[in-house]
Amino acid sequence: MATAVKGAARTAPPLPGPERPRRIRVLSFSQRLSRWDVKVSPYLYISPFFLIFAIVGAFPLVYTAVISFMDWDQIRQSGEFIGVDQYAWILTQPAFWVALRNTFSIFLLSSIPQLILALFLAAVLDRNLRAKTFWRMGVLLPYVVAPVAVGLIFNALFADNSGQVNAWLGMIGIGPIPWHVEPFWSHVAIATMVNYRWIGYNSLILLAAMQAIPRDYYEAATVDGAGAFRQFWSITLPSLKPTLIFVIITSTIGGLQIFEEPRMFDQFGEGGSANQWLTITLYLYNLGWGDWNFGRAAAMAWLLFLIILVIGLVNLFVTQSLVGDDGGRGPKLTRAQRRALRREARARRAGRKELRR
Amino acid sequence: MTDLLKPDQAGGEATVAIVTPKDRHGRARRIRGIRPPWWIYGILVAVVLGSLFPLYFSFLIGSGDSSTLRDPNRSWIPLGNFFENAATVVNDPNVNFWRALWNSVWTSTVIAVAVVIFSTLAGWAFSKLRFPGSKPLLAFVVATMAVPQQLGVVPLYVMFAEFGWTGKAGAIVVPMLASAFGVFWMTQYLRQAVPDELIEAARMDGASMIRTFWTVGMTAARPAAAMLFLFTFVQAWNNFFWPFIVLDRQDPTLPVSLSLLQSNHFVDYSLVLAGVVLATLPLLALFVFAGKQLVSGIMAGAVKG
Amino acid sequence: MSPHTTRLALSSTALLAAGALTLAGCSGSESDRASGGETTELTISTFNDFGYTDELLQQYTDETGITIVQNKAATSNDARANFFQKLGNTGLADIEAVEIDWAPEMMEYADLLAPVPSELADRWVDWKNAPVTNADGQLVGYGTDIGPQAVCYRADLFEEAGLPTDPEEVAGLFTTWDDFFDTADEYVEATGQPFIDSVNSVTQGLMNQQDSIYEDDDNTVIATENPAVREVFDTVVERAIPVAKYAAQWSDDWYASLANGEYPVMLCPPWLRGNIEGEGPDVTGWNIANVFPGGGSNWGGSYLVIPANGENVEAAQDFAEWLTSPEVQLQAFENAGTFPSQVDTYEDEALTSATDEFFSDAPVGQIGADRAEAVEVEPHKGPLYFQIHDAFNNAIQRVFDGTEPADEAWDTWVSEVDAL
Repeated sequence: MATAVKGAARTAPPLPGPERPRRIRVLSFSQRLSRWDVKVSPYLYISPFFLIFAIVGAFPLVYTAVISFMDWDQIRQSGEFIGVDQYAWILTQPAFWVALRNTFSIFLLSSIPQLILALFLAAVLDRNLRAKTFWRMGVLLPYVVAPVAVGLIFNALFADNSGQVNAWLGMIGIGPIPWHVEPFWSHVAIATMVNYRWIGYNSLILLAAMQAIPRDYYEAATVDGAGAFRQFWSITLPSLKPTLIFVIITSTIGGLQIFEEPRMFDQFGEGGSANQWLTITLYLYNLGWGDWNFGRAAAMAWLLFLIILVIGLVNLFVTQSLVGDDGGRGPKLTRAQRRALRREARARRAGRKELRR
Repeated sequence: MTDLLKPDQAGGEATVAIVTPKDRHGRARRIRGIRPPWWIYGILVAVVLGSLFPLYFSFLIGSGDSSTLRDPNRSWIPLGNFFENAATVVNDPNVNFWRALWNSVWTSTVIAVAVVIFSTLAGWAFSKLRFPGSKPLLAFVVATMAVPQQLGVVPLYVMFAEFGWTGKAGAIVVPMLASAFGVFWMTQYLRQAVPDELIEAARMDGASMIRTFWTVGMTAARPAAAMLFLFTFVQAWNNFFWPFIVLDRQDPTLPVSLSLLQSNHFVDYSLVLAGVVLATLPLLALFVFAGKQLVSGIMAGAVKG
Repeated sequence: MSPHTTRLALSSTALLAAGALTLAGCSGSESDRASGGETTELTISTFNDFGYTDELLQQYTDETGITIVQNKAATSNDARANFFQKLGNTGLADIEAVEIDWAPEMMEYADLLAPVPSELADRWVDWKNAPVTNADGQLVGYGTDIGPQAVCYRADLFEEAGLPTDPEEVAGLFTTWDDFFDTADEYVEATGQPFIDSVNSVTQGLMNQQDSIYEDDDNTVIATENPAVREVFDTVVERAIPVAKYAAQWSDDWYASLANGEYPVMLCPPWLRGNIEGEGPDVTGWNIANVFPGGGSNWGGSYLVIPANGENVEAAQDFAEWLTSPEVQLQAFENAGTFPSQVDTYEDEALTSATDEFFSDAPVGQIGADRAEAVEVEPHKGPLYFQIHDAFNNAIQRVFDGTEPADEAWDTWVSEVDAL
């Protein structure tokens, strides 16, 4: 077997000599199987997801796309094709634009603090704490307690007259805030509900990802004299990049689709008498389940989809440029480690060849 | 120097061993030996107290009676009727508690396990395997998350009614198995957590694709898989609307049956919130399990030099 | 995961999946039909509490041998979502309960419901049948309960304000809306406290007394041109808003105020009494005056309808007839306080002697019967009623909150209605 000789020009042809028996390149069965394995496996691995999706995800998507162009009677399952009329109707509704404004406002008020706090919390939880499991899982409680309870609590907190928050504000001399009248304050209250529910959740996602960062990076940095914040900025954040992208994209999608919290905010679930806290998804829901106009609701859903797509791409862009790059090929091994790997592999192969011969 | 890859006794295939990192002198090194300062615990106490509040509040009201919720002079100490209220909830003929509990447990478990497996498989493929179409397919998966779920119930029911699947408990399981969130999560996590060199090493040793997945991927994915399991389980557990629409009233899941405590114009919230506490307890058990999987350095040992 | 745990997880999934499939195969709606087309089981879907206890339903089983399965939804909204999702498709029970609030929307699909035999129509007060009678004059819903409103008042607060406290005298104060508002103004001036809990209760009281409101009989929208609607709006804005504490009910603040016993007067249908008592059990002095401004007004009520594509339509019709018979409805009333809509019950001793302890032993049965008979009109409500009325209430809320002045709020409402 010709081994590359160090220093030899690779372009030099092999020296003519006694005829060596040429090895016939026949792929053994196992080699062919292996190649097929490499080619086909990825598709096999993704197929369970896509199969299920084809059954339960594809049909609703197509269905809503189709009825968005129709005046659809859901009960009689019939309708007439009216082109883009539903889309046009929505775009001419003041309620739509108000809902858009509300959605963005609540989105910004919730996503940004959420991300920062979740990162902070994850960093705190990443340490070598006593009773780790208790602290780490404790932060998830707001997410798991049933919405009816959380809704009761927040309604009691943010009631305009009898609410606790206004009572506390009164104690420090600030006048009662009309949570259910002023759009901005309603957004603040709703964003608070959203943040409360999701910060623990996102921090656990980030924490799981932080667990995968090799600890000796931090130790090396400590030896080099880097402080906690520096380590966080230069080691944690870049290593977290794929997860950060994940969190930002899912927060964007989730944040633009906020539905439960605005619905629970008052007893009617319609976003306020002047649409003060009507979000797009809530508007969609009311069109579909309130007015029973599913064609319109479907058109709204696809409009929302477009909006999310645009904002999502923007966010992705921003994240890619803000957070340092780690190459995306996973944690880097040092050169010494790589050399060790190669040495071991070679030794093992040699050993096996010995056995085969 | 520790052995990075130990040959399997059975003959020649690579396994990745988690080994205790040792320093130059062979002493076992503590990964992160330094305990954090006391004020960290202060922050944590504040955060956890805040997080505990809804559960405590539910317990507080659930320990009272029908007037406790609106009582302006309500005390912060539980009244002591909790077990009585819990018994009322459990024995309420409308609520069908044990059946609903069982339905919730088995459907949530099946959904969570299936989602973790499917998502890890797909995530592995998207993150570590190169194949034509992977980028557009992943983008498609992520894009499906942008279509709001509220509308999906309508055509889904129509379809299920066509197939004759309505009223069957399996009808709640199937729609929740396709989790774009799960796939995306595992993709990003594995992308970050698994060094490519490990895969190359395993492949060089002749491991098949599935073997590589099993030994490298599944091991690395443990914290993420635990979190995904937990989140999916909770989501399935608390899901109200779809089970409400698609299931028989006689065969409900827990949120649907507990919602019946809110029928009547005058709602007795002490019972409702006692029900909330009962419904949250099984989840707490899961917390302990998932929390223990959040182990630092699963792959750290593998890459120790 | 270690290989062991993984194998454990996989095998348990396989087991559970197998279990799922088996259960899926076994569970599911059982066929109601034995061989030969005989019905052995009927399903009925209700919400809130109709008073159909197991004992009551058992009576029917004893009579006919048919088992009854009652499905419950927690709220009217849940029931509505479920009903409209499945109407015309599979999944509805043999009998479905429908609330009057969404009965107008349902009437668009009246052809999907089984008719009620016309000889039964006399059973109910005439205004009860109007909302569920289709364009051809065919009745499609069996009336169950109604919400005849009376005036609930706090005798102690009245005394403090120098108003009469005896129910009959109080009744004299509220015979017309003008009297009502005058008394309200007096009270507010004397005490500085709001007179009534919500503007909404007045709005719906007034609105339900008009001959026609938002849509005329063939469902053309006339809301924005109808002078009656504008009059209601003006009355509410000018006279009700100044004397009410909140614009709408069922908010957290509203519940808290009930607990504090803040109102001297509430317009109360029978079902609201449960809330008044439940939220404020320590409040004393409640009584009921057998009067309603303008005569009578109905708030709430339900019907039983039978989906025409069900498997047991005839048996369901027999059962619905039985359930809404005066005798059975009286039993439901005793069980849950749902006030009967059947005329014959109003002569019955069981109803006329019913009293409510919390409300100073007021003769609630008799009051209800009197108020029910005092209702003269039930305005026509078409399929857009809900949305238009909703927008109307929002307009009033905006005026109440100060978000928009009255005329602007009205104009916004007009543009919303036009866009529908």
